[in-house]
Amino acid sequence: MTIFLTKILIFLLRLRGGGSSLPGKFALRLNKRILTKLAQGWQVILVTGTNGKTTTSDMVYKALIAEGFHVMNNSAGANMTPGIVSTFAKHHKFGDRRPNRYAVIEVDEAYMREVTSMITPEMIVVTNIFRDQLDRFGETTTTYKFILDAIKNVPSAKLILNGDESMLGNMPVSNDCVYLGFENYGEAVIAANTESIFCRDCKTRYEYESVVFNHLGAYRCPKCGHARPKLDYGVTDVMLSPKESTFLLNGDEVTVGVPGLYNIYNATTAYVVADQLGLDRSTIKNSLATQESKFGRFEKVTVGERDMRLLLIKNPAGCNQCIDTVAIDQDEVSLLFLLNDKYADGTDVSWIYDAHFEKLAAMNVSKVIIGGDRAYDMAIRLKVAGLDRMNFTICKSYDEVLEAVAKQERDLYVFMTYTAMTSFRGYLVDKGLAKKI
Amino acid sequence: MKLEICILYPDLLNSYGDTGNSSILAHRARERGIEAEIHHVSLADTFDPKKYDVVLVGGGQFHEQSIVAADLRASKGALLKEYVHAGKVTLLICGAYQLAGDYYVDDHGNREDGLGILPVYSKPCVERMIGDIVIKDEDGTVYTGFENHLGKTYIGDLQPLGKVISGFGNNGEDGYEGCRFKNTIGTYLHGPLLSKNPELADWMIKTALTLKGHDVALTELDDSWEKAAKDVVLRKVREAG
Repeated sequence: MTIFLTKILIFLLRLRGGGSSLPGKFALRLNKRILTKLAQGWQVILVTGTNGKTTTSDMVYKALIAEGFHVMNNSAGANMTPGIVSTFAKHHKFGDRRPNRYAVIEVDEAYMREVTSMITPEMIVVTNIFRDQLDRFGETTTTYKFILDAIKNVPSAKLILNGDESMLGNMPVSNDCVYLGFENYGEAVIAANTESIFCRDCKTRYEYESVVFNHLGAYRCPKCGHARPKLDYGVTDVMLSPKESTFLLNGDEVTVGVPGLYNIYNATTAYVVADQLGLDRSTIKNSLATQESKFGRFEKVTVGERDMRLLLIKNPAGCNQCIDTVAIDQDEVSLLFLLNDKYADGTDVSWIYDAHFEKLAAMNVSKVIIGGDRAYDMAIRLKVAGLDRMNFTICKSYDEVLEAVAKQERDLYVFMTYTAMTSFRGYLVDKGLAKKI
Repeated sequence: MKLEICILYPDLLNSYGDTGNSSILAHRARERGIEAEIHHVSLADTFDPKKYDVVLVGGGQFHEQSIVAADLRASKGALLKEYVHAGKVTLLICGAYQLAGDYYVDDHGNREDGLGILPVYSKPCVERMIGDIVIKDEDGTVYTGFENHLGKTYIGDLQPLGKVISGFGNNGEDGYEGCRFKNTIGTYLHGPLLSKNPELADWMIKTALTLKGHDVALTELDDSWEKAAKDVVLRKVREAG
């Protein structure tokens, strides 16, 4: 009965437009454990971790679809319990007996414990743990505990783990663990301003054989011996370009159609999930090769003659990856920054000083356009980072931003926080410049 | 003329952008043709108080902060005390501010000895004090920042950095934020602090150079963005009521 009423509510809300978590809240009010019932008959794959949840889930979703399975997933905006309930309710068919039904669900780290108290997934995927909007999430050790407790609820779930993440190695759990990572990629250099470089278990500074980025790499604690586990799937022979990457995974050549080292992690994770589910490897590889940039992940928007690449930034590690990927571009480019400080962005903008914008100063930068609620904070940050303030244009509205963009003689990279992304995208859609999602 | 800036434990106390304060100080010095160098000093390094004109210590996560506390107690704490008590320029933020006090009570109720650098002490509170903060000092200068702390700090007779206009401050009770002790500032303000408060940054640079025997008048810089960034916070706080 709860499910029936929830579906009616979803239908009504759809007529009105929007509202993805409201039906879920309603359903949970009627039945606290509704998720257990809704998840029956689905083989569930939960994807959690700080960065890469959305892209990894999307890659797994597409591979399962390509294999011909019946698959459903949730959106990034519906990754807390009510949104997940709404998603299951929406896809619920009374008397559904179809086999091989998969639910690929990304879950906010803080909600994992609640979700695994109601659902027993086939697999749990954990991408990484970075510091992220400390005003909302608290500390990385807290996030680790959330995830650990969630896993302890479901010892039968197979874990797909980033082996290069020192928080995730040798966890005190009985689950089957599959580790993936880069085989000795990157110099063993850690930037001073990096989190999680002191042993999770004994607080000694890790020694690294190689570092892919941030604190991810081949780590070992010289004191207690906590070290990167043997990788079940290892990345080698990496070739990066501004458009895509190619690499070998256990010797199998994989191309991923979106750029950046972090997307190699995402693609590898999706490949491992598919491989562990017994999918045909060529299916997953075809799917990854045609992976397109989407919402804020290098998505291309054209304004007049200029191409803009939209990049979502939300925490230092993710932002650094965007900066590094942009820095591969040898051409002269313009940059646009939109910094907001609403709840979904993180209300504390201090984090921009923990990201290495200094690397952009070494690029061939034509102009810098800056907007958003905290445009001046961004301007100060970029000035201090060494970009030439004479090239800065600070905009008070999206109209001014668009006007400045139209004047550019170079293509643009656009760095923007979450609500800046949604509102600026909405603005572009209204102007007929971007597709509605 | 050269400004030697030291960040203590940049690899451990780095959660809230506080290391940005060093970049801002160096930038503001260099804009005036004053040489500036940033030195990173952490666990494996020795801390020589005589080498530096400005020392910055920031806030970190509990895991890392506990490592710092042990290292300071073992060796560097006494040297930092000597440096601060000699009247040199120091900025202690959040975790470092608490640690520098006589003692602090952790969230399990254990009383831990602080470094005894500042005559202040801290206790845990029930709910984190988070949000934009605005304070005003006795000269009427307004400072803004972002606070995010679980500790309440009591400064006794010390001069506060400012009076709280909006936000929590030291303890959410007595209406004051931060403290001044000789040429040391203790505060809960992230942001980073100096990004929107160039007055404080220049006070630190000027004081540090004067102590070094350089009688300099700092040239004015174009701080229109800093002022505008501060105004954005003031407006936001006003609109939130």
